[in-house]
Amino acid sequence: MMKRRQQLLIFSCCVIVLGIALGVHAFNDERLTSITFPSDPITFQAGPGSHLATTYCLICHSAEYIYMQPPHSQEKWKEIVHKMKQTFGCPIPESDIPALLTYLVSQNEIQPRHEVFRAKEEKPALVAESTRPSSGDSSKGQRVFGTYCVNCHGQSGKGDGPIGTSLVPPAANLTLLGNKKDEVILKTIRKGRPGTAMPAWKHNLSSQEILDVLAYIRTLSQ
Amino acid sequence: MSKEKDEPRSGGLNRRSFLTAGLALGAVGLLSPKSLLAREASHVDLPFARGRRPLVAFPQKRPLMVMTTRPPQLETPFPIFNENIFTPNDAFFVRWHLANIPSSVALSTFRLTIRGRVMRQLSLSLDELTHDFEQVEIAAVCQCGGNSRGFFDPRVAGGQWGNGAMGNARWTGVRLRDLLLKAGVHDDAVQVRFDGLDRPVADATPDFQKSLDLDVAMQNEVLVAHSMNGEPLPYLNGFPLRLVVPGWYATYWIKMLSDVEVLKEHDRNFWMEKAYRLPADPCGCIQPGEHIARSVPIGKMTVRSFITNMEQGGTVSSDAPVTIKGIAFDQGYGIDRVLFSIDGGQRWQAARLGDDYGDFSFRPWVAQFTPARGRAYALQSLAVNRIGESQRFSARWNPGGYLRNAVETIHVRAV
Repeated sequence: MMKRRQQLLIFSCCVIVLGIALGVHAFNDERLTSITFPSDPITFQAGPGSHLATTYCLICHSAEYIYMQPPHSQEKWKEIVHKMKQTFGCPIPESDIPALLTYLVSQNEIQPRHEVFRAKEEKPALVAESTRPSSGDSSKGQRVFGTYCVNCHGQSGKGDGPIGTSLVPPAANLTLLGNKKDEVILKTIRKGRPGTAMPAWKHNLSSQEILDVLAYIRTLSQ
Repeated sequence: MSKEKDEPRSGGLNRRSFLTAGLALGAVGLLSPKSLLAREASHVDLPFARGRRPLVAFPQKRPLMVMTTRPPQLETPFPIFNENIFTPNDAFFVRWHLANIPSSVALSTFRLTIRGRVMRQLSLSLDELTHDFEQVEIAAVCQCGGNSRGFFDPRVAGGQWGNGAMGNARWTGVRLRDLLLKAGVHDDAVQVRFDGLDRPVADATPDFQKSLDLDVAMQNEVLVAHSMNGEPLPYLNGFPLRLVVPGWYATYWIKMLSDVEVLKEHDRNFWMEKAYRLPADPCGCIQPGEHIARSVPIGKMTVRSFITNMEQGGTVSSDAPVTIKGIAFDQGYGIDRVLFSIDGGQRWQAARLGDDYGDFSFRPWVAQFTPARGRAYALQSLAVNRIGESQRFSARWNPGGYLRNAVETIHVRAV
């Protein structure tokens, strides 16, 4: 047996070929040194509790992580969510976990289409819809903000919410958006911001609610 | 470099820069919006619930099966294993754990650090690595620990891979051993920990790091590789450097390797102590529902084989010999023989082994049979390695979905 092992070892060593020159020119091609990542292709399907999945799950990973799973029992989802909270540091409060579990179980049989393939069908911007951006109600927007946005962007909107500062990159400071056009901000709220934890909200918030949030965000920088 | 993030992250990008760069760098395979739309109807359906995987071309990649986009996890469509013994770089599977992957690597300032329980800390530029150390090459299979997890029955949580979270490549680089010897390892060293440039999105998430026992790290075949199949590593496969640990599951093959730390104690970090664990018995398995009394970190790969040129539920031409092609591999003892069956394992014939590219590589094999019109066949292959380990007839089960090496069956009908 020992002899066999020695033979194998010698053979293995022979397989390692010496003097490969590839390394010399391997790093000359600057084009290969940077990359851009696609944005998330699917969002959580709207339903009771979907805002929790959007708020917390999408901080670290795309919704595909949930939609590729085999159907899990509520007990199994509970185990997974607790692992996300305790081990991976997901900032979801205990009080929100039951509603999230109900939502996750409700998604067990669903496999959404990748949205990236539907880009053509999407309307270019919210402004194309009948409601104009100017019609948001900032007091209603404040309530929406307090539910969906405050965890990351903070009460002040400065990105200093309980989750916001721990993100890489950190949550945006919304008080500095004065120069940004409405359409740009609306698009970010609707579709999210690739490469960041900012998810797409269009399935959780109505067009009117998104306009209301915009109106409230405008008050933050005043 | 070890803990510094001196480069802009993916977070600095917005959709516009994604699209613009896609157009500007189309030549190196970055996807453009047009190419995305062109893929509209393209997907692969894996044979388990929620197995639909869109085919999308990520940077430097041909369209691959997208399991997840953020962080990227891409599976190699299985027919590619039939076309190539060495998996093409643009088809090689991709698996990241953490979404905070640097969007660029500055080659001039990039350094690989060797530190911890060493006499001399090293901080090596890419130029030094490629000029000051012997360059070696090895053919080796890189396989995700969770490859084929989707086939577990009952199903388990985790990345739901088909059989394509693996690939075979010629890896070129320097021996980790040479770097450790140059740094001088202290007598009290027990493990070596590896860290790449990827980072968690949330501070509280444990950084992805893996450790090997010192005697494993000092093996001749363990490389710090800069090239794959004669080309620089694709960005998504760990550019500019990745650890190559032939025979071991890919979880140890740290991508964008930037930090090597020699430890005097066993690594207690989450990814060693809690994740990627197996039941501590020779099988690495339990009965579903059973409690794992003691666990160990995942290690070397089980012996496997696949038929690559037959499709599940497909047809074969009758009354003439049909050639069945396949691949086999193990943890590095090498493949001794592959057996082939057309009747679900009742009778076996020896397959003919193809070219030998080394003990850690895919080993091609072929077999022939003459189908009779109208008959159904259950095609199976069974690999045995040089120490007599074979594939299992009944699939082992563990809650992590690791080590699958059951004999696979492909049903075909002769027409």
